[in-house]
Amino acid sequence: MDCGTALGKINAKADGLLPRQEEAELADHLAGCPACAADDAAISATGPVLRALTGIRAMRNAPALDAMWTRVRAGIDEGRDTRRRSSWLARWSWIPAAVVIALLALVFSPSRTDRPPFHPSSFEVAVEDVESDTATVALVDKGEDLPTVIWIIEDAKS
Amino acid sequence: MPNPELRGRAGASVLSFFLLLLLLAAVPSEAADTVTIDVGAVYASNEGTSIDPALGKIRGKLRSMFNYTSYRMLDRKRRSLSVGETGEFELPDRRSMRATPLPARGDKVRLSIRLSEGPRNLLTTTLGLRRGGMVLVGGPPHQAGVLILIISAE
Repeated sequence: MDCGTALGKINAKADGLLPRQEEAELADHLAGCPACAADDAAISATGPVLRALTGIRAMRNAPALDAMWTRVRAGIDEGRDTRRRSSWLARWSWIPAAVVIALLALVFSPSRTDRPPFHPSSFEVAVEDVESDTATVALVDKGEDLPTVIWIIEDAKS
Repeated sequence: MPNPELRGRAGASVLSFFLLLLLLAAVPSEAADTVTIDVGAVYASNEGTSIDPALGKIRGKLRSMFNYTSYRMLDRKRRSLSVGETGEFELPDRRSMRATPLPARGDKVRLSIRLSEGPRNLLTTTLGLRRGGMVLVGGPPHQAGVLILIISAE
C-alpha cells in the first residue's frame, strides 16, 4: 500500500467508513510508515476536538436557548388557548342562527303544495246534511278503507 | 385583552337568541278548540298517466275510486280556525270554499262547508270527522277533467 492510498483510508477510517479488513491492512502500513502514522494520529484527534468545541459552545449558549424556547412555548400555549375559545364559539354560535332561519322559513313559507303529502288517519265521516242550489249531489261511501266522496254533478257535465 | 372577533361572535349569538325569543312570542299558539283545515285542489283528468307524489297515501285511493288516469295537485291551503270562525279558501276557476268549525266533543271535528262558484252555491254541507280525518268533494269541471277537493281537519 502506498502512502496516497493510506491517506485515503485514514480519512475513511476517521469517518467510520473503512471496512474492518482494510483497517487491518492500513494498520500494517502505519506500523512501517511513521509519516502516515503521524497523519493518522492528527486526523483521528480532529473529531473529538470538534465535538468538544461544539459542546463548549452549546453550554455557553444554553441559557439564551432556554429563554428563547420558554418564549416560544408560551406563545404556542397562548395561541392554543385562543383557538380553543374561538373554536368553542364557532362550533355553537351557528345554532341560534339556524333555529331563527328555520322558524322564519316555517312562519313565512308559502301555503301551497310544498307541505308533506296527505296522510289521513281516518276516513270515517258523518255527513249530517248536504244540499245544492244548482247541482245534483251524490254521496259515495265505499267503506272505512276509502274516503267518503261528495260528488257534485253540474248540468250533467261531470 | 379580549379578542374583538370573539366578542363579535358572542354578540351575534346573543342577538340571534333574542330574535328567536321575539319570533316565538310572535307565533300564535294554537288553542285546544282550534281546528286546522287543510284543503288540496286536485285536477283529475285522462290527460296522461301521472299521479302527483304530493298526494301521498291517498294516491292509491284515488286510483281505486275514480276512472281518471292523471291526478295533479293544483293548490293546497291550510288554515287554523277557532270554533265559530269562518275561513275562506280560494279555489281554481273563481270558486271558493268557506269552512266553519262547529262545536264538537272528544276527538271529533264538525265542519260547516260551503262551496260556491261566483254567486252560485254549489254545495252546502255539514260534516263530522275524526281529527286527522279526510273527505273528498269532487265533480266541478276544470279544463279537460274535474276538480277534486281533499279536505282534512286536525
